[in-house]
Amino acid sequence: MSLIFKSAISSAGRRAAFPSQVGPTAYRSLHTSRPLNQAEQQQASVAAEPSREPAPRLAQQGSMQLSLETPQNKAEYVLSTLDKVTNWARQGSMWPMTFGLACCAVEMMHMAAARYDQDRLGVVFRASPRQSDIMIVAGTLTNKMAPALRKVYDQMPEPRWVISMGSCANGGGYYHYSYSVVRGCDRIVPVDIYVPGCPPTAEALLYGMLQLQRKMRRSRQGVLWYRK
Amino acid sequence: MVSLQRTIRNMRRVGLKEWWRQLQYIGDAKAGTYVGKDQFGNRYFENRNPEEEVPGRHRWVDFAQHDYNATQVPPEWHSWIHHIRKDAPTNDPVMQSSSPPWKATYIENLTGTRGAYKSYNTVVPKINAWEPKVKTRV
Repeated sequence: MSLIFKSAISSAGRRAAFPSQVGPTAYRSLHTSRPLNQAEQQQASVAAEPSREPAPRLAQQGSMQLSLETPQNKAEYVLSTLDKVTNWARQGSMWPMTFGLACCAVEMMHMAAARYDQDRLGVVFRASPRQSDIMIVAGTLTNKMAPALRKVYDQMPEPRWVISMGSCANGGGYYHYSYSVVRGCDRIVPVDIYVPGCPPTAEALLYGMLQLQRKMRRSRQGVLWYRK
Repeated sequence: MVSLQRTIRNMRRVGLKEWWRQLQYIGDAKAGTYVGKDQFGNRYFENRNPEEEVPGRHRWVDFAQHDYNATQVPPEWHSWIHHIRKDAPTNDPVMQSSSPPWKATYIENLTGTRGAYKSYNTVVPKINAWEPKVKTRV
């Protein structure tokens, strides 16, 4: 306890000594939004008195998303509940279209195998784009493959999501300066989740799937329609 | 393994309220010793009896937040729950004495909120909004 207290004092002293952005939190306080800075300040004083408000809640303060998530009348209450039911149904059966292009595809297979076992989340690989709602772009997207990728994406029914897996799909990666490689699959299709790594572990990809679930859960299409 | 007998036994051990919470969040009825609580209010449990819990599922966390994810576990507890360290940070002398003073406060993954990490760019943006420039008519 005394150690925590001492460290708090010393870091406060350091902050006082370097009033410019040299402190340990400098890189975040410079380039992130104001609500996060509030969250950090709350967290900094956690040694003295723990804040009850969790960090994502603090970060959402005053945002459009929070406004959508808090119903203001009965119609919105009903609609947001319907939205939640829709989100629940969508996140419970995410069927990815596998677009395995390179070594990332092996890690994608590991996600399907016994250890990480995507089936427990309702994630089942479909071979047909017409029956799937997520596309996992796993691997280097070449210029030759790009029209095929776009065609497959266009064949998927709405709503659809894209996970870009690995640094090659994210932004060209190792082959960024190649003459025959697309520098990121987000030049061809809109991407929802970027999974970094070369290749990302199966665990990382599964975490990406969970983040996509989180993104689906945030959707409030009904409320949005009503407010417009 | 999951069985009706085990579910009923654990339900009687943890109580009806806790059991209901476990079914909502963990999806399984688990009973074990309470190990500790982190700064965010997540509670950590352990049951090292192989007859009661399958080895590998013998340490678990009960998240404080409704919208939970794995990054809400701070690194000290992460190393305990993933068996990197044997003892929990509450009674691990090495962990307690070697916490560096320059360590930043832990913040969970804020992707998707306004607090999301954004890297900054020092080069000229490649995409610009269209700014029409009308030439004056002669």
